[in-house]
Amino acid sequence: MTRKGAFAALLLLLFPSPVLAQGFSGYVEAKGFAFAERESDRDPWVLGWSTLFAKGERKLGDAQFTASVRAEEISSQERGPLVFDPADREARRSPLSVRDLWVRLPLSSTLDLQLGRFELGWGKTDGYSPADAFLPRDLSDPFLDEKLPIWAARLNGQKGPLRVDAVACPVTTPWRLPVLGGRNAPLETGSPFGRIRFEDRENAPPRAGFVALRLLATIGDWDVGGWGRFGVRPAPLLRFRPDLAFPAPSGPTVPVDRRYAREEAAGVEVSRVAGSWVLRGEAAALFSDDPDLGDALIGTISAERGFGDGTLLVTLAGNAKDTPVDPALLFDRALLPALIAAWNRTEAWGDWKVVWTEGLKHGDGLLKAEVGYNATDVWRLTLGGELPFGSEKGPLGALHAARRAHLAVRRSW
Amino acid sequence: MIANVPGSRAVLAAAAILILLLAGPASAGEDARTLLSRSESLHRTNSQEYSGELTVVNKDGKVRKKSWRSFREGYAGDAKTLVRFTGPPEVKGVGFLSLARPGKSTDQWLYLPSMKRERRIAAQDRDASFVGTDFSYEDMEEFDHKKYEVERNGEQLLDGRPCYVITAIPREGGGKSVYGKKILYLRKDILFLVRVDLYRKGEKEPGKRLLLSDLRQVDGHWVAMRLEMSDLKKGSGTTVLLDKIVFDKPQPGDRFTLRNLNREGGE
Repeated sequence: MTRKGAFAALLLLLFPSPVLAQGFSGYVEAKGFAFAERESDRDPWVLGWSTLFAKGERKLGDAQFTASVRAEEISSQERGPLVFDPADREARRSPLSVRDLWVRLPLSSTLDLQLGRFELGWGKTDGYSPADAFLPRDLSDPFLDEKLPIWAARLNGQKGPLRVDAVACPVTTPWRLPVLGGRNAPLETGSPFGRIRFEDRENAPPRAGFVALRLLATIGDWDVGGWGRFGVRPAPLLRFRPDLAFPAPSGPTVPVDRRYAREEAAGVEVSRVAGSWVLRGEAAALFSDDPDLGDALIGTISAERGFGDGTLLVTLAGNAKDTPVDPALLFDRALLPALIAAWNRTEAWGDWKVVWTEGLKHGDGLLKAEVGYNATDVWRLTLGGELPFGSEKGPLGALHAARRAHLAVRRSW
Repeated sequence: MIANVPGSRAVLAAAAILILLLAGPASAGEDARTLLSRSESLHRTNSQEYSGELTVVNKDGKVRKKSWRSFREGYAGDAKTLVRFTGPPEVKGVGFLSLARPGKSTDQWLYLPSMKRERRIAAQDRDASFVGTDFSYEDMEEFDHKKYEVERNGEQLLDGRPCYVITAIPREGGGKSVYGKKILYLRKDILFLVRVDLYRKGEKEPGKRLLLSDLRQVDGHWVAMRLEMSDLKKGSGTTVLLDKIVFDKPQPGDRFTLRNLNREGGE
């Protein structure tokens, strides 16, 4: 099927039959980015991104069925070929992707079994959470930091105040990284030969995934929990191949391989209401025999407070161990220690939010702001911008060429 | 049979009138606590389900519509409530769980599908708008008179019907409230709450007003089919129209749990 054909087929979903209309939703969005500068001549000044998302939900007896697909057209090299990539294992975003495809079966009044492809959210703290860090992410757009859904079986139960959540994910869905050496993933080379280009090589991700178990309990004002996880870490480790370097018209080019390490992790989490504030904390110990990954001891604390129709959230995250991760790639530990402050508010006309992230090691940071105007219940206009700043030695400051403004129009149904 | 006894119809009628007088409207001597206790026992149901259509009109006249399904088990001080938004798309799937605790602040959680996890609502944060409506999180709680000092303040006609006027002030230790005072209007004939004036702490004038109207009997229970919350300062208003109301239907044992709140596509 051609890309245009795929879009035409999905456009038909905009006019669902009355039967489909029950539990059918989605949106179509056109988004444009304008950049202040370029890292290289590969980077465009403006970029277009159109999305069509459709989701259907249905209950048959006690079983819940949900399916959703996303079709995209991106005017950049971040876009991959139109291939069937059911587990998002390709290095670039496919124009078509399955976001949800799951069924949930209640095994008893206290236990559910969920099978299929779905997103998982475990973390207690927003902005940065060690419990969510082992989940795959799509950093094609590093500022969106989008979660990738996983293929998994999940048992979810509750007995009194105790909740249990067990996940078995048989296949690794690897993190998707931006184009190496581009404005979204600049790499410092320090080469005497001038600017070096990097070339992503095709590397098969590992087959095995992970298993994880989480226990939670609510006792009065307190929520406490603990979790453990075993398996493959979906964030790849980069292996530069100077032995395979070759000259190209634009300069020397070095291929880059990816490999995946195993990692075990255990964490605890706690939250409680304290007056006007909701306080949350997480701590996790991560262990790996891989010398390039090593161990980590990550902790986060956050405080959230509502002010009228708005919420202020402050999160502090740090790693007590000096973990060797290349800071230029915005991997999960590169930014730490960091302070994240987010302020959002709902207005009569729409909403706005401001997020300030400060890397405390290098003094770099990111300021994000967005204003959403709800023209009607289904039409929404969004204007925003992302401004990385500070030292270019930090993972956020290195993204200075990715400074941008964006405008989006969305119609939902 | 008693119906065959001469004069039995007159006796039955007299007995019925006597029962109505005893169980019916309050006498002039009853205090506010007794009236509210009687109102609660008169209108208590084991459970309630309905679909709600919300219309939010802001001060500029701009209209927003939302829809939800609501489930309740228990009543007032022992109420458990689950609300699940069904539209528009921006809020579809958003869930709200409220579990009353006797003598304490109600536990409340909000589930946001975009985050795939629930967020707890701080007790002192309950003045925030509930998902863009004029209802606050505290307004979503069932009124429990035991958490208030109450006082009867005469009577007033509302829509041509006499109502008891009762002042309710949150008790110390009765759970956190964003309001300093509530004025309740209880219809005299059926002891049904038809209006609440809400005073935020330190305010001399009501900041918000809840009107309950279009009263009907469903399955033998009085219910207001229309709820209108007005923010008197902002000049905005939210109207909820109830539909498909069912009372006393047994609720699944896991409906009012955090697990169910986190079930995407669930009720």
